Amino acid sequence: MTAPRTFAQKAIERASGETGLEPGRIVDAYPDLYMSHTASWRCIRTLEKMGVDTLYDVDRVAMVMDHISPAMSTKTAADHALCRDFARRMGVSKFFDVNAGIAHIVLMENGLVRPGEFIIGTDSHSTIYGALGAFGTGVGFSEITAAWVTGKLWVKVPESVRIAIDGDLSPGTYAKDVMLKLIGDLGADGLTYCSAEFGGAYTEALSVSERMTFCNLAMEMGAKNAFVAPDETTLRYLDEAGADRGDLTVLLPDEDAAYARSVRMDGSSLAPQIAVPHTVDNVLPVDEVAGTHLDQVFIGSCANAKYDDLVIAAEVLAGHRVADGVRLIVTPASAQIMARASSAGVLTTLIDAGAMITNPGCGACAGNGGAMADGEATLSTANRNFQGRMGSYESSIYLSSPATAAASAIRGVITDPRELLEAAR
Amino acid sequence: MASTHRAGGQVIVFGDNVNTDVIIPGRYLISIDPAELALHAFEPLGPETQERLRASDVVVAGRNFGCGSAREQAATCLIGAGIKAVVAASFSRVFFRNAINTGLVAVECRDAVSAVQDGGQMFVDYDAGSVEVGDSTFPFAPYPKGLRDILEDGGLIPHLMRQNANGGTR
Amino acid sequence: MNLVEKILARASGRPKVDPGEIVIAKVDRLIMHDLSGYLTADVFDRQVGRPIPDPERVVMVFDHHFSPPTERQATVLASNRAWARRHGITLYDCGSGNLHHVAVRHGHIRPGMIVVGSDSHTPVHGALGTLAVALGNDSHAGTVLPYGKAWFRVPETTRIELDGTTRPGVTPRDVALWLVGRIGEGEMNYRALEFAGPYVRALPFWERWLFPLVSVDLGAKCGYIEPDEVTEAFVRALPGGPADLLERSDGDEAASVLRFDVGEVRPQVACPPTVGNVVPIEEVAGRPVQWAELGGHGGGRLEDIRAATAVLAGRHIHPDVRFNIVPSSRAVFAQAAGDGCVSALHEAGATWFPPSTGSNQAVNMGALAADESMISTHARNFPGRNGSSEARMYLASAESVAASALAGQISPAQEKS
Repeated sequence: MTAPRTFAQKAIERASGETGLEPGRIVDAYPDLYMSHTASWRCIRTLEKMGVDTLYDVDRVAMVMDHISPAMSTKTAADHALCRDFARRMGVSKFFDVNAGIAHIVLMENGLVRPGEFIIGTDSHSTIYGALGAFGTGVGFSEITAAWVTGKLWVKVPESVRIAIDGDLSPGTYAKDVMLKLIGDLGADGLTYCSAEFGGAYTEALSVSERMTFCNLAMEMGAKNAFVAPDETTLRYLDEAGADRGDLTVLLPDEDAAYARSVRMDGSSLAPQIAVPHTVDNVLPVDEVAGTHLDQVFIGSCANAKYDDLVIAAEVLAGHRVADGVRLIVTPASAQIMARASSAGVLTTLIDAGAMITNPGCGACAGNGGAMADGEATLSTANRNFQGRMGSYESSIYLSSPATAAASAIRGVITDPRELLEAAR
Repeated sequence: MASTHRAGGQVIVFGDNVNTDVIIPGRYLISIDPAELALHAFEPLGPETQERLRASDVVVAGRNFGCGSAREQAATCLIGAGIKAVVAASFSRVFFRNAINTGLVAVECRDAVSAVQDGGQMFVDYDAGSVEVGDSTFPFAPYPKGLRDILEDGGLIPHLMRQNANGGTR
Repeated sequence: MNLVEKILARASGRPKVDPGEIVIAKVDRLIMHDLSGYLTADVFDRQVGRPIPDPERVVMVFDHHFSPPTERQATVLASNRAWARRHGITLYDCGSGNLHHVAVRHGHIRPGMIVVGSDSHTPVHGALGTLAVALGNDSHAGTVLPYGKAWFRVPETTRIELDGTTRPGVTPRDVALWLVGRIGEGEMNYRALEFAGPYVRALPFWERWLFPLVSVDLGAKCGYIEPDEVTEAFVRALPGGPADLLERSDGDEAASVLRFDVGEVRPQVACPPTVGNVVPIEEVAGRPVQWAELGGHGGGRLEDIRAATAVLAGRHIHPDVRFNIVPSSRAVFAQAAGDGCVSALHEAGATWFPPSTGSNQAVNMGALAADESMISTHARNFPGRNGSSEARMYLASAESVAASALAGQISPAQEKS
């Protein structure tokens, strides 16, 4: 009889072929998918240096040109060209070019991420794949290159933390606010090296998009991976994304599995939250920073630029204009999201309000635009507010939900979205 | 032969939650050259810190060093700056992986961090699993063999190349 | 006197001017973009340092950047913003559109004006019957900003008369590119060009736009179209109300006349290294392209977007091509979103970018690798302008750009049956 196991134990056992893995054990795991983004060119150059031209399994290679899209310099243009040539030459079918959008979102939308799978990516927010019940974790480009060649990487089995979120949120507060509050409470290293398993009635009722926001931001507490148990919502998403359900392995934690910690949170009394400079765990309720002057508002990133995020922003912005002197940049996370927003009229609402719509991708979150001069301030729906991440080391980044971002763009200062939502009612 | 596993010298001390955007700002990620990256390591903290970094051998930090992005250059730039080891109360996991995989000694040893002064001396023997500060020695859990092999080969890619040269994998 | 002479006479307070004369004339409008504005402001602050008496004459548009990628670029924009605010200058920030389109659409350009700017394509405003000339940044800083004046040499005028009927599939941009090849680059050095004839007269405003646009490639000081009912109707619909400055020439005053039959023209492509290296599209058809773009001073108009939609609706671009669409103004983007073009072209695989001048000089987008090629509606194709100096830039009509995006190679649009 095997001992009860967490999701992380099961996922690593599946990927390594080993059994009875306890937290702390280091094993070789064989990922189902190796994602590399704009950093792919480094993997290719490393492969050349190694003198290797056969890959372990080219069908597990996924490349998405998302961080700098399209190129602004000869160097980047050459890097992109290198990746295209490589993909063509090696037969990388999961290649997505500069027009596709943010890697995580693109892969999930295209049905390439499935429950139970073990996925590595050259991006720390690869924890997001937990939204579909997969084990996603970030690595450096050397490890992706090594996986291309050997098909494996070393993994330490993490401890697991169960995070139960209950209660209905009040209008004007969203999954992002829950996560900001949690990051503020637990701290930037609150989940270091842990597998974060989200549960509770609130989590279970979330859409896959909102679960993405959860699992994405778990990284900001140091989590190795994140997880929401796959359910009907997950399966519906997989079908819509055209995922192959043939050999699906839904891995659920055993009921009496051992957790290093248990965290509970009740969202019913939660106010909109803001992460203030320069760390993500520096979190305050919106009323404590309301009135802070803004030069720029960015609605983008893998945390909060999905279709429902744009809809929320549009609801707040409808019939309003962005304040004079404020630049509102909206960067849809993917081409698919752009298409939906365009055909549903969401785009028109945003344009009419004065938003600048950019091409899908990481955009300003990855430094591909939206840079600030000394003394400027941005409110962003992204997941990081580190010093200098958006231009000047003397600029400030605040983080919030799309609703708070939209309300603040209208007023030109950090604003509680409930003031505008109530007025609209 | 213990000396081959011993690295250290002068120490520069940082606080908790030092993130990757501070260690190496995203704008410099178009490079993978250690020397070039080293010029911009810790740039947000100003030129004085940068100069001290380049004069140091060991980076000492508090909790959650290297939190943030998966960028491998956060480790590469320290190597370029001449850093031989990073000793922290704790690491962000991706930074830890990237350190090992680029051949940078990274050790979690809270007691040693508490014991050392900024500008003082520290040595790490990663084989023995000890950190020396002055006359005191602080133990840490030694690396498992697999990781030690990667480190000794100078990182993951040289390690794989060596395995290939030796006619295959383990 | 012809239109240019009349405008210069009025603005210099003389009853008459003659070609070759040098006059000091009052400037009605100075237009600057984010890059030239920065240089001008810098020279002005450091070397002139006077108040600007009529700041309402000056317009600045951020069009090379829509979202600055670096702190340095962000600082340039912040400095421009502060400078414009300090002097009371009208500023259109990132995402507003291309400098020239924004200046026109917001009513800053009226017939009969003298318009100056650092951008070499400033003569495009001759489409409204202005005298529009590109000057250096130092002229702006030294004389235009503090005194509202500049010196001009009265140019000799050549009238280019276009007559005849174009073949099916030939667009006004093909005619304009063909003219550059036919007349020759630099051949009209220092002259004023009047674009005239029944073909030009019959064109709607935004198609006329493409002719003064090529003045610079022909070497001319300026180009213009004599204002008529089309101009008047267009200007009347602009913000700022009816035009009161409509100058007309007294009669046939051109020093020389060149006549062309547009019936000769086939769809054209300007090949690297210059705009004058023009060939019929068949001669280069089949050359692979990895990039296509609607945008720039001449492109990204609603006309271009609709033409591309007609080619691409219900189809999908070639998998090896990225097709960028850069609306020339917010108004164009809003209209394209409202009438379904944004959805249709997105579904066809195109990527929409913020209203701006797009890949022009690859400031915010559009760098190419050494072996890559782009076909676009842009106004320049000099090597090295967009990333690698070994990359190739082809210029063509929106129809040909869309057809090439579909085929993955330079390709004429299929004629509609």
